[in-house]
Amino acid sequence: MSKVASALRQLLTKPLRLPHLAPFVAEPGQPPIFGFNSERGDIVREVVTRVQARLKAEGRPLEYALNEVAIDEVRRLEGQRDDEARLHLGRWRGLLKRCGRMNDAEKAEALREVSEHYASDVAGNFDPRVYAMATRAIPHGLSAILKPSSVPADLGRLGLGPVAVDELMRTEGELDLLRKLWTKGTLVFVPTHSSNLDSVALGYALMREQLPPVVYGAGKNLFSNPIVSFFMHNLGAYRVDRRIRAALYKDVLKTYAGVMVERGYHSLFFPGGTRSRSGLVERRLKLGLAGSAVEAFSRNTVRGVTRPVYFVPTTINYSLVLEGETLIEDWLKESGKARYIIEDDEFSQIERWIAFFRKLGEMEAPCTIRFGRPIDPFGNVVDDEGRSIGPHGRPIDPTGYVSREGRATLDPRRDAAYTRELGQLLAERFETETVLMATQVVSHVLFRALVQRSPGLDLFGRLRLRGDVALTREELRADLGATLERLRELEQRGAVRLSRLSRTAAPDELLDRVAAAFSGYHERTILTETNGTLTLEDPTMLLYYQNRLVAYAERIAGDGQLPAAREIARLARAGGAS
Amino acid sequence: MSALSVVGGGGFGLALAHAALRGGHSVTLWSRRPIDERPAGLLTTSKLADVAASDLVLVAVPSSHVLDTARALGEHLEGRHLVVHVSRGLVGEGLHTVSHTLRHETAARRVGCLAGPLGAATLRDGLPGGGVIGTAFGEVADAVRTAIGGPALRLYETEDVLGVELASALVGLLALALGFAKELGYGPSTLSMLMTRGLAEVTRFGVACGADEATFHGMAGFGDLLAAAFGDERPEVLLGRSLARGQRAVDAAREAGAHVEGVQIAHRVSARARSLGVEMPISDAIAALVDGTIEAPRALETLMQRRVRRE
Repeated sequence: MSKVASALRQLLTKPLRLPHLAPFVAEPGQPPIFGFNSERGDIVREVVTRVQARLKAEGRPLEYALNEVAIDEVRRLEGQRDDEARLHLGRWRGLLKRCGRMNDAEKAEALREVSEHYASDVAGNFDPRVYAMATRAIPHGLSAILKPSSVPADLGRLGLGPVAVDELMRTEGELDLLRKLWTKGTLVFVPTHSSNLDSVALGYALMREQLPPVVYGAGKNLFSNPIVSFFMHNLGAYRVDRRIRAALYKDVLKTYAGVMVERGYHSLFFPGGTRSRSGLVERRLKLGLAGSAVEAFSRNTVRGVTRPVYFVPTTINYSLVLEGETLIEDWLKESGKARYIIEDDEFSQIERWIAFFRKLGEMEAPCTIRFGRPIDPFGNVVDDEGRSIGPHGRPIDPTGYVSREGRATLDPRRDAAYTRELGQLLAERFETETVLMATQVVSHVLFRALVQRSPGLDLFGRLRLRGDVALTREELRADLGATLERLRELEQRGAVRLSRLSRTAAPDELLDRVAAAFSGYHERTILTETNGTLTLEDPTMLLYYQNRLVAYAERIAGDGQLPAAREIARLARAGGAS
Repeated sequence: MSALSVVGGGGFGLALAHAALRGGHSVTLWSRRPIDERPAGLLTTSKLADVAASDLVLVAVPSSHVLDTARALGEHLEGRHLVVHVSRGLVGEGLHTVSHTLRHETAARRVGCLAGPLGAATLRDGLPGGGVIGTAFGEVADAVRTAIGGPALRLYETEDVLGVELASALVGLLALALGFAKELGYGPSTLSMLMTRGLAEVTRFGVACGADEATFHGMAGFGDLLAAAFGDERPEVLLGRSLARGQRAVDAAREAGAHVEGVQIAHRVSARARSLGVEMPISDAIAALVDGTIEAPRALETLMQRRVRRE
């Protein structure tokens, strides 16, 4: 029985594809992804060839590379002790044993096989029929992708009705410009990352806004649900297995991402890497895979292909984050910083989803996606024609950035430097493009009050103040009102964005809506109100939601609140990785 | 042999031109004023557009002119340009680095900074000397070495651009303190104490801003400070001396020679340090001196009365 179950599980983790007789060919005017399947084999081959070439250029004995990857994989699979280990561990152990005795040709072949194994595992799929199906399924689309078997019934029970999904999400920003740009170059969306919902939500937003679908790397753990897996896989997602630490695997992944951008596939990368554990807007961006998009531009230019790359700073903002509790606990645990995969968070619990959707009905559009003004890989803004515009409003030639003495060159160090600078710029843009949701604003005001009322305590001391700090509604109304005014002023100056509710609602309404949203959503009670007194029951979740405002804390502090605001800002600085 | 441009006809700009001409390169120098003693082979221009003809542009204007110059250059520079500056100082209320200003005001991204104990005379005459190039781009450092390097010039390289620029600007502040203490007649042990503590505090500041500690102990920090201490009477030292004589900052600056960056940044550095939670007693004292809120003899006394802690 267990054998059957395990075989079935194994089968289900392999994404299913629909059979098809003829290759899909993209029609003129369709995004290149519609023709992906006919290019898939070619792309895998190109990735393997490039990885091989790079290994050769490094000049290290191939044995080292082979040894490293085999040791990493044996170690990983020994630790995993699952079906994958049972299937593959023997092969890796064999390779480890044999590689000392191989001659150079055999080593090169073994490395090629490993690279090909990885590249095929990573490579996604795009089935236009699945895309059409998903498009038709709207407005049930998003819910259907997420929890197809039960969502429609649930939605009915919850009284949300079929319009629900469209109401759930708000899209704003440079949509018109993006609709013009996608035919002129390759769009690379670089959003903030706070939930596993992000890629699905963004994918849905693009579909709704008549923007082309994007390819993106999705954690392999997201593929464990066969139905989620089916949609993700067939809508262009490629699989990223974060458990594999081998450098060769990362190289394959990065090369794959780069080749896709090079070939004009609109892409999505989360430049912060993993979900923000703290709820802070990412400030230090490593860019990782997104860096391959800069190199892709260089490579195209060297080959004489002038296809611009447009980075789109995007913020995905939620009133409530499904996995909030697990994420913040993980951040607070010092050891948690090294933990990349959380298998058992709220994302995998059906009842959390039901609670999530129930809450969505009560909030303003609970997810707001904002598309910022696109920039080229060198940080220049882009005009309606897709041209790079210099600081003086003059169009400039982006290929100059990858040229020396009039000739385009490949220079990984140069591109890495451009990537770092792009990371800084994106972090700045995230700050001004973040949309502050009512839950976050109210949490900040409450947390700041808590900090003011607990002088001398450190962060952990404060987080233990469960139910110890209470405020009257009048106090809170005044504080929230003044803070909202300052936030609205900041928004006027373009320093931040506010959600519709944060922008327009009166303090009392805001408080009521937020209290209702919090109530019963997370496991822990965040806030209670009795006889006009609000008690802060869970500082940890307040911290999580208010962290989104850390960058503005000092600017929105009122008289006497500056020390508390500074402390909040410092706390985030000390927290390090977001 | 290749072509390069120099922006700025002051002592350092001319020294850069000399060094490049010696290497056989063709040099175009932009200057507001006519150049009196023009080295043989130097092309001069008063039009910034001419500067853009070569890919490598060396900017040698005082930091008080950086913003205007960068804006004007913005009309001409493009992605293909490599831009390296030699200005000691920080720009504006925001204390932006010069390379930050160049990157924001122009389309150039491959930017760097040349700093350290390299004096104009050393560079001009090809005497043994050295400095450090702060840049994230290896090709920028290579281009500078090709342009002005020679058998007697050692140019190190670091990716910590922020560190190089902060160290370079803040050593200016310390040079001012040095001149001040010298004028009051203090001897080597007092001066050494002042410089050691001074370097420690500007390093703290730099690290709090995100720079690398090691950079402050290298060419741009320690190296440059030694050059000031060994007595190349740079304007900041002269300014410190004038302040010690009780002159007002404005007059002192005029007497020490134009564009003394120390005067302009002392106050701002001090304020920024407070918001970063970094203690900078020497910078605070300099800021107070420059503002005229503290009398010359009192300044050092205040410093000495601080509580002594572990080093």
